[in-house]
Amino acid sequence: MTAAEKYDGVWVFSENPAVARELLSKGRELSGKLGTHLAAVALGENVSETSKELISFGADKVYAVQDPSLKAFEVHPYSDVLTEMAKAYRPDVILIGATRSGLELAARVAERLKTGCCTECSKLGIDPDRKCVVVDRLILGGNITETLIIRNKPQIFTLPKGAFQPLRKDPNRTGEIVQVQPKTAESPVKVVGRKPKQFAGVRIGDAEAIVSFGRGLKKKEDIPIIEELAKTINGVVGCSRPVAEDLKWLPIDQYVGLSGQKVAPKLYLACGISGQIQHITGIQNARVVVCVNTDSKAPIFEYADYGIVGDLYKVVPALTEAFKQLSSHK
Amino acid sequence: MPNIIVLAKQVFYTQDLRIDRTNKKLVTEGVARVISESDKNAIEEAVRLKEKLGGKITVLTMGPAQAKEALREAIAMGADEGYMLTGPEFENSDAHATAAALAAGIRKIGQFDVILCGETSEDQYSFQVGPRVAEILNLPQITYAVKITLQDGKALVERSLEDSYETVESKLPAFITVSREINEPRLPTLMAIMAASKKPMTAWTVADIGLKPNELGREGSLTEPLRSAVATGERKRILIQGEPKEAADKLASTLIGEGVVKVT
Repeated sequence: MTAAEKYDGVWVFSENPAVARELLSKGRELSGKLGTHLAAVALGENVSETSKELISFGADKVYAVQDPSLKAFEVHPYSDVLTEMAKAYRPDVILIGATRSGLELAARVAERLKTGCCTECSKLGIDPDRKCVVVDRLILGGNITETLIIRNKPQIFTLPKGAFQPLRKDPNRTGEIVQVQPKTAESPVKVVGRKPKQFAGVRIGDAEAIVSFGRGLKKKEDIPIIEELAKTINGVVGCSRPVAEDLKWLPIDQYVGLSGQKVAPKLYLACGISGQIQHITGIQNARVVVCVNTDSKAPIFEYADYGIVGDLYKVVPALTEAFKQLSSHK
Repeated sequence: MPNIIVLAKQVFYTQDLRIDRTNKKLVTEGVARVISESDKNAIEEAVRLKEKLGGKITVLTMGPAQAKEALREAIAMGADEGYMLTGPEFENSDAHATAAALAAGIRKIGQFDVILCGETSEDQYSFQVGPRVAEILNLPQITYAVKITLQDGKALVERSLEDSYETVESKLPAFITVSREINEPRLPTLMAIMAASKKPMTAWTVADIGLKPNELGREGSLTEPLRSAVATGERKRILIQGEPKEAADKLASTLIGEGVVKVT
């Protein structure tokens, strides 16, 4: 392979700065194992501050691309720029944050580069023999884990928000900032309006603690039992898919699962949830999972760190009381 | 009057899939095959657009022989005709090879103003096929639609993002993926399902759409599956014993000890 054909470096990109910091943390690990550098791509109207920030969170190099057309994420200009850069600088690996925008960007860029892409990866490591990235992803409703590699370069992966802890910010860290002049074309899709989502309930995506309930809760009037526990531990209330979709007891954006919210709290407490794979897939990135269920054979016990076999109507109030006691002892 | 092509995939009804714990195998026997959920929303949206504006709806699918049922269901919902890409060459295609096949099928169908499909399939959850087809056909890409208006040769689309709704405008033809919240798909009547059998359905092989077998299937894929296994959690699985109060006390101290709960 001649130098021009060589692919080198791990790149990270997310339009969401918090996700970009998480990707840098995983990127450091991968670039270390591959013996290569870690670069971040910053796109925007003005990215000088962002670029410094990306270096302080672990990037060796930042490709800084500034243009008014890149002010906010739009899939066409962003795909154009990322594709052209990948052709010019030939990274070995590109990690993209699996936001809604990141997903559509990754697929469009991968197709234009005629390369493979693995989205929604649950695990990502290095195959030591092939010297390439190897990932696990869940398919068929989360029942099966498929292990894959990408045959072409660059290898593109999307990683979910909240899956990795960012590195500690080091303001003294130094790195190279490469200014890139983008070739931009007019986007065929024009943004004509944006309005914030009115969340009918609480936003569970950013919560540190979630107390979630399923069909084990017998009636809507009993939800305060769950709310009381959530309040005590400074958490929010979530639910399983049937509670939101069939019973409609909570708004649709409050259910956790593969097709609902994928959450990454420090604590996920599942009350009266049997643990359908659809639900489990939504809590893969929770740090600690706890379950309370009357049925000791419920699958949720397989996917929990701590389980109590018991009636949630007794255990949940007892837990609320226990936390209240512990806090008053402080 | 818009010509609409809808891409739809037949999948196992994932909620009924389960693992046989004795032999650690996926049980697919007796599990229904259905149109993937958001693809069904795409069919419904096409039918609603046709009810308003007229035009024609063509459904394209890729899959084994029984995928014909998906076409029949789509027609029963209100589509006019269906095409399926079928044959052993199409099996084991990844998102890229699938998109290549669908794009070739679309070119063969010919005329269209809008292509619709679901934002992702229920079985693979890759979110890739729509944008990849849009790229191959060099079409404007509009994802996660929750409202579609077609007028004056343009599409006005409201998109659902994490924190916001974004409204975009694009010239036609355009490629649009839809989110599940866009509509509630209708249940076709038995009469409509029976009548659908008489509507035109055409099966195309790899040769019919002008691709080479090595552009499809495992060979034409850019990703390579190394192995697959029953998914297992990597959790501690510690059961906390005792009467409710005793167990709750133990659990509360453990969680505070782990630093995952801060009581104030």
